[in-house]
Amino acid sequence: MNNPYIKKRFLVIDDQPTARDALRTVAQNIGAFAVEFAANYQDALYRIRNNTPDIILCDYMLGEGRSGQQLLEELRRFNLLADETIFMMVTGEQSYEQVVSAVELVPDDYIIKPFSPDKLLLRLDRIVAKKEFFKDYYRAKRKQEFDQALALLAKKRDSEAGRPYRFEILRQQAETEMASGNAKTAEETYRTILSNYEFPWARAGVARSLHRQEKLSEAREEIERVVSSTPTFFDAADLKASICMAQGEAEEAQRVLDEVAKKTPRNYLRKRLLAEAATLNGDDETARAAMADVIANDSMPGAVQPEDRLALARSQVNGNEVIAAEKTLVGLKESELQNLTLDLQASYAALLAISSPGKGKPRFAGLRPALMSAALESTPRLDILRAALSLGDHELADHQAETLMEADDAKKTFGSTRKLYSLHGREMDFRNIQKQVALKRIKHETPAA
Amino acid sequence: MQKLLDILASGIHDAKNQLFQAESTLIEAESRHGVDLGEARYAIESAAQRLSRTLTAYRLGRDDQALAIVPTVVGDLCDEVALAQRHHLAATQIRLEIDCQVFDEWPLDRDLLTDILNNAVQNAGRFAKTCVRLGAALDDGGLLLRVEDDGPGYAEVPPAGGTGLKLAETLAALHARKGRQGSLRLDNGGPLGGARFTLWLP
Repeated sequence: MNNPYIKKRFLVIDDQPTARDALRTVAQNIGAFAVEFAANYQDALYRIRNNTPDIILCDYMLGEGRSGQQLLEELRRFNLLADETIFMMVTGEQSYEQVVSAVELVPDDYIIKPFSPDKLLLRLDRIVAKKEFFKDYYRAKRKQEFDQALALLAKKRDSEAGRPYRFEILRQQAETEMASGNAKTAEETYRTILSNYEFPWARAGVARSLHRQEKLSEAREEIERVVSSTPTFFDAADLKASICMAQGEAEEAQRVLDEVAKKTPRNYLRKRLLAEAATLNGDDETARAAMADVIANDSMPGAVQPEDRLALARSQVNGNEVIAAEKTLVGLKESELQNLTLDLQASYAALLAISSPGKGKPRFAGLRPALMSAALESTPRLDILRAALSLGDHELADHQAETLMEADDAKKTFGSTRKLYSLHGREMDFRNIQKQVALKRIKHETPAA
Repeated sequence: MQKLLDILASGIHDAKNQLFQAESTLIEAESRHGVDLGEARYAIESAAQRLSRTLTAYRLGRDDQALAIVPTVVGDLCDEVALAQRHHLAATQIRLEIDCQVFDEWPLDRDLLTDILNNAVQNAGRFAKTCVRLGAALDDGGLLLRVEDDGPGYAEVPPAGGTGLKLAETLAALHARKGRQGSLRLDNGGPLGGARFTLWLP
């Protein structure tokens, strides 16, 4: 008989040597020939990056405050795990079932210790069959051929062979619709899933698609349901925080993130989100501590980006630590600066103009024409506003404020903008800008007679 | 109280890890010496199952057991019970038949359900003469899972329940969907004429 596992490369991840040996024994018993080990989180990442195995058996508890779930999330974040690779979580913990049943990002399967080689074989065979069934879809999805991917899913949904996978098909469909920018359709697909069963991940999917459609209060209502019924679903808390920020409730966003960040101290995407919320909330100390942690400890190569250093500098500027901010900014390499997008260049020049006027003012002045005309995100706009106000450039400042108030995410930045104006004793001017924007909007919305 | 639960949970977690090491030692011995230690491995897995069940019962007693509902292929569920029990039943000359008429997925707590069915098959195996049957079918808009045997049947109906039966009843009721709740029925009769354990899930 032809054993498909003889040629497969296994990676066993476990921090306990005896448990690693036990897993190897089981893997070898089902025919595995090449079984590699990883003793910890970093080692596992390194091995997977450099030579992706076919089948990963990963213990849920990895020690040092790391979990297999975190590893899985990190692998997906850096696109290191192809859909074709099998990721099987191994756990003695019953609590992991709760995680899998709730969250959006799940392994191919999980298996509870102790288990026999036969049971592992049964589970692996099932995953192999499933991956074979979805093979053409994975390929289309990887090439971002979304229409093709959706067409393949539709065909699978209606096929006899697709019967055991109908939830997975719908889930993939919703994710693909979301990725292709069709949030309304994704919402409908998630609701179809919910009409069958109240899965927390599907409810979160509804909230995510509503958020994308800018239906903020509806999104908030949906995500509140998930967060209160499934407190272990931390990504739902992140989503709630993002929605809160968009609604202008930075304080609540920070409260939510503070709470989950304590339970997941090594989730650095969450730390970045916390820094964003804290900045909007005016809590510069928390923002600074979170970004310093990110820069020091998010250790995947390429994980820390110039925008992270800018976020740290921003929190330092806000906290009046101008010398520290200057040091952070000067730490960016010339080669990095040259490759920055206009958004990031604008933030860099603005923050440097405040923290180190001698170096920063000429650069900021050079960008001024672009800052008066280009389309920019709200974060750089707030930085420009801050710099323009402190340099007394009213025209530049007021242009930023006006654009911020006109933008879709005006609620998110309103508090920060108002605070900056009042810091410079210009509350009245801000109120006038607000009035202008409101008038313009009314004019715009009133149809011509 | 949370502390006691944590101590119990982590103790059970450690014990299961140890049991896994014990099982892997047996697996090694099996392949090295070409012997079948299936019954010893079965005993190890049953011990681990008992530990999990104890923790679940404790949690249920404190109303602290949330289900982990995942879409589960019903045929796979039956296959796993067969894999866990068939070898052991065969050692006592009892045949395990699987009759799964459901081809789709069903939202249920896979691990708890597997444990309940394993327990029911184990019980049936103790009283069966020649055969235990595990069946799955659609019924009244729900999923019907049934374990029956050709033994003498329950001495009284409903039988005085042990921990396993109590647990099965409570866990069935926790499965709720579209305003309906799961249930457990124990009776005698059916085509095999012995005891019948019938679980209905919405």
